[in-house]
Amino acid sequence: MNNSLKSSVPTDREVILGILNNSEDTLNKLYKAYYVMVLQFILNNNGDEDDAKDVYQEAIIILYNKIKEGNFELSSKLKTYIYSVCRRIWLKKLSQNSKKAGNITDYEDVLVVEEDVETHEEKDAAFVKMQSALEHLGEPCKTIIQDFYIHNLSMQDICEKFGYTNTDNAKTQKYKCLQRLKKIFFQP
Amino acid sequence: MPAKVKENIFSTIIIEMRNDLELDAIIEDYLLGKLNPQETEAFETLRRNDAAVDHKVVSHKFFLESMETFAAQLRLKEQLNNIHAEIDVEGLATALRPHPSKVIQLWRKHKSAIAVAASFLVLSLVSVYSIQHNSKQKEQLVLLSNQVNKAIKTQNNLIRKINNTTNAAGKPAIQNSFGGTGFAISTNGYILTNLHVINGADSLYVQNNKGESFKVKSIYTDSQNDIAILKISDKNFNHLSSIPYSIKKTTSSIGETVYTLGYPKDDAVLGEGYVSSKNGFIGDTTQYQVSIPVNPGNSGGPLLDNNGNLVGIISGKPDQTEGAAFAIKSKYILEAMRAIPQDSLGSNKLSSSNKKSLLSGLKRTKQIEKLQDYVFMIKVYN
Repeated sequence: MNNSLKSSVPTDREVILGILNNSEDTLNKLYKAYYVMVLQFILNNNGDEDDAKDVYQEAIIILYNKIKEGNFELSSKLKTYIYSVCRRIWLKKLSQNSKKAGNITDYEDVLVVEEDVETHEEKDAAFVKMQSALEHLGEPCKTIIQDFYIHNLSMQDICEKFGYTNTDNAKTQKYKCLQRLKKIFFQP
Repeated sequence: MPAKVKENIFSTIIIEMRNDLELDAIIEDYLLGKLNPQETEAFETLRRNDAAVDHKVVSHKFFLESMETFAAQLRLKEQLNNIHAEIDVEGLATALRPHPSKVIQLWRKHKSAIAVAASFLVLSLVSVYSIQHNSKQKEQLVLLSNQVNKAIKTQNNLIRKINNTTNAAGKPAIQNSFGGTGFAISTNGYILTNLHVINGADSLYVQNNKGESFKVKSIYTDSQNDIAILKISDKNFNHLSSIPYSIKKTTSSIGETVYTLGYPKDDAVLGEGYVSSKNGFIGDTTQYQVSIPVNPGNSGGPLLDNNGNLVGIISGKPDQTEGAAFAIKSKYILEAMRAIPQDSLGSNKLSSSNKKSLLSGLKRTKQIEKLQDYVFMIKVYN
């Protein structure tokens, strides 16, 4: 397992081009290339596998968005960047849970990534807001909205799925749901 | 007449306090570009004229963007979770988790610190050992120098005296054999050393780093500069490949890093230091003073700079100053070489060409590897 994970490490350039081209294969390789490094770091610094997964996925998302926005400059190794972001996120989480960070056991060089992590936190807040708004919406509204806006189903599909007599009824229902969702979402 | 219908709807909306649902639908179609040009124009007029509608458009636009980002992020997370599911997390975690054993955990955590501590321990052991070793040698040196001082009282050259003690300590005097160092100045077996190393010898041998001994004859001596040139007269001697060092043309500056390879014991020993003075013993301009720890037996050894240029020949050390040594300047090597028939040295000889020496740019360890084939132990029997 370990070996197969290491053998397929993509070059940094491959990763950046792959992500820009929406390559699932690249994302897969990237994820598997550096997971062990982060798992080791978290496990040896008061965390468990679940913590490692959360922190690592957050770091990958930060990297992914940064590349997609087109302002990622390859000034250091991706490995170092990912490690530094994970380290920053994990140190923050440790202090939030008022767990003692103590002596952090490091495995790699560390870059200054505070800004990237903070930008991500702002975006993540919007994500959490939308998520909780959807949770508050209740069924069937939540599923209708998700099907239309996230899974890109057509009104025809939704009409059949929920057994509405015609698409106009489905549309009306969708807009009712949308109105409620917006109300919750825009609540201060 | 769909445009007219829509127009009717607009007017109805405005008149009937706006049917919010219909308006939302139109706004969304507008934002997604699903309205035809006429409808778009009609709607934009409405938007311009009604601030409330305009506000709704802006807020819906923001909402749709938030939704889009949310959807993209959600899809990415889903993708990551799928990838994550392919990894044997449990197996990896077991291997990487801090070991239950405190000892192993300590080892893993403080690996580097332990390594540093261990190397420090080894280092201090080595230095304690070498201090003991050194003090033994010093005792020997003092003893022998006394003897030599008695024996060669007539000599008026103090350097010579020091030098004599230097070579004398290499081997116990009872065996009547002395040792020193020499180095090749041509590939066909000419070797240069200090005169004081071979003075009064009955028979002379050189030994290379592989332990092979060859009989040599003294070809030329220069008592003024304390230089002697020997020639290997042994049939078993194979010619060397080209000389890796060349003679440095300019004088070395104070502070320049230099090193020497010599035979203060049966194996070659590296001594490293710097040029500490441009003149030698009591202002002797034919010599440099260098700060290199040398021991009896180093006499006659080549002194090289970082680029493998020959700076001088180690010839002796002052009896009062610790860690200093004297080296004959390299230009006297050239003088000595000119004094013997030029043909005899063959075509492949030591030169002071401007060409970079073969040692230039190499790491010290690589330089020594190349150099050691050209540095010989001089064995003197009398």
